Amino acid sequence: MPMARALSTVTTDPAEGVAQSARLCLGVVTGAQGVRGQVRIKSFTAEPNAIADYGPLEDERGTRRFELELVGEAKGVLIARIAGIADRNAAEGLKGLRLYVPRAALPATDPDEFYYADLVGLAAMLKDGSVFGTVAAVHDFGAGASLEIALPDGKSTIIPFTGAAVPVVDVAGGRIVVDPPHEEDVR
Amino acid sequence: MARSTWKGPFVDGYLLKKADKARGGGRNEVIKTWSRRSTIFPQFVGLTFGVYNGHKFIPVLVNEHMIGHKLGEFAPTRTFHGHSADRKAKRES
Repeated sequence: MPMARALSTVTTDPAEGVAQSARLCLGVVTGAQGVRGQVRIKSFTAEPNAIADYGPLEDERGTRRFELELVGEAKGVLIARIAGIADRNAAEGLKGLRLYVPRAALPATDPDEFYYADLVGLAAMLKDGSVFGTVAAVHDFGAGASLEIALPDGKSTIIPFTGAAVPVVDVAGGRIVVDPPHEEDVR
Repeated sequence: MARSTWKGPFVDGYLLKKADKARGGGRNEVIKTWSRRSTIFPQFVGLTFGVYNGHKFIPVLVNEHMIGHKLGEFAPTRTFHGHSADRKAKRES
């Protein structure tokens, strides 16, 4: 049961957390497919086909926009047609292109759901207002989400993402309030 | 009948004792354990274990769907660092 679910760990440089939230990388063009300008895309979205659900994709600088039309799948990649790309040479020219969407393009979440990109980089405070660390990563190995907090001393700790351990998540304010759980060793 | 069936599920005794004790305690508690081999028993439901993956203790919040699995299944020893993209984390209440 647990392994059937996609195991995920997402880490980002905490300093880039806010910037990461502004634009999200949803996939990368891995090469050309056939001679009619189709491309192979490795999708990073939770559901691979969802890469085309958030509107036009952009390049890293946001200067070019790409209208994507999915036409099939092959060996872990998606086959897609991009508007304006009509032959293999043009498709090969896109190899390595990372595809982004603005964070605002993602739909709103339920009250207790948060995008990983929003969580990574948030400051973690204790209930008394003192600094605890920074959210460095979000893990989900099939037993609920957990947050890896980078501590000021260079170490890190992982806490469960529960209402008891993380009573406040203030994405707009750039912080979470953490109540680290009591840990007890059992050998 | 397979040999493992007549022997019954395995669990380290000290973990079972600790779980029984912890069920009466507060909710915001993590039971750190190295016992990845222990089967998840019904009495573990609702508890949070910190399961060692060789590097860190991964919080495992046990629910009823996990019964019969081993604790180690939820704390992989090798992790793939991927992209966040549109992934969402749900905060358990």
